[in-house]
Amino acid sequence: MVYRCDNYVFSIPFVFRSKTQLMLVLAVFLAACSSEIKPPLVATDIVITEPVPGREMSAAYLSLTNNTNELIDITKITSAEFDAVEIHESLLEGGIARMRQLEKLAVPANSTVELRPGGKHLMLMRPTKTVDSVSLKFFAGTTLLLGINASIQPRND
Amino acid sequence: MSRRNILIAVLLGGAIAAGIVIATMSRAPVEPRSAFIIPLPRELPEFSLVDQFGEPVNADTFHGQWDLVFFGFTQCPDICPTTMQILAHAKRELIDAGSNTLPRIVLVSVDPERDTPEILGRYVDYFGEGNLGVGGELGEVRKLTAALGIYFEKAPIDGDNYGVDHSAAVLVINPHGEFSALFSAPHSVANYVHDLAIVMEHN
Repeated sequence: MVYRCDNYVFSIPFVFRSKTQLMLVLAVFLAACSSEIKPPLVATDIVITEPVPGREMSAAYLSLTNNTNELIDITKITSAEFDAVEIHESLLEGGIARMRQLEKLAVPANSTVELRPGGKHLMLMRPTKTVDSVSLKFFAGTTLLLGINASIQPRND
Repeated sequence: MSRRNILIAVLLGGAIAAGIVIATMSRAPVEPRSAFIIPLPRELPEFSLVDQFGEPVNADTFHGQWDLVFFGFTQCPDICPTTMQILAHAKRELIDAGSNTLPRIVLVSVDPERDTPEILGRYVDYFGEGNLGVGGELGEVRKLTAALGIYFEKAPIDGDNYGVDHSAAVLVINPHGEFSALFSAPHSVANYVHDLAIVMEHN
């Protein structure tokens, strides 16, 4: 009998004397297996723009990957360095740029959602202190899904 | 084949190759990738606004240099700074390429209530030297945008906070103060670098 666990393939011989013994081995196997599983939500390609002088806001761009088989709805994002974090989407329709606020950010099962300039992005409002890096926490309701920290990048690169 | 025939063949081949190279070089660049060149450039209307130094801005302000004019507002976190950044980046590439005709970057605020000259100054300066920030009375901004086909409208966000929906195009004003070309969004540095030479040449 062969089990596939993430990228590893294990074979378990049929030498168990009882069901209990089999279950015990399987439990150990699954525990080991779970340590190999990727984290449910991963953030990559994080860019946090420097606030333009005189304007108390920044934008955060990143890719969010959902490694689970369930939809993840991010309903709240907080930052220690900003008063508020909102999920926004820029839309270009008929040559007109619009911006709308989203109530949640849905990351479908086993998929990646990209937040990029001109599309979905996080708006970081009213910095509470001057910092070089920004921490962000992503929540589904009251459940903390992910915490990240990234340095601020100047726009004139 | 004799030695002489081989020599002739080699020379002929070389001449054809050189001809192709010269023809390709003299043909480029002709067609803009993104810019729309207006067949009959239009003069700007009469309007009265102010720049970041509190100096008056009117149609005369746009005489004497090429201008890239974007209509936006400083509390716009995504589209506006991204567009300003692209324009600034394109200008730096033109400088690096040794271009002797550099455009001025102009931001006309579609949110003049909140964008005071002081705020506009800090904003445009962030994207490079020599940029112009234009604000003033809403009615005067409307005179300019209406004549140029630029749309803008307030869009409530929550409570007293609002955004402004606005045309994302960048207009090219030639040194005679005429609206002569238009870049539609989405913008790209490469398109500006490629097309501006053609737009300026067309003038």
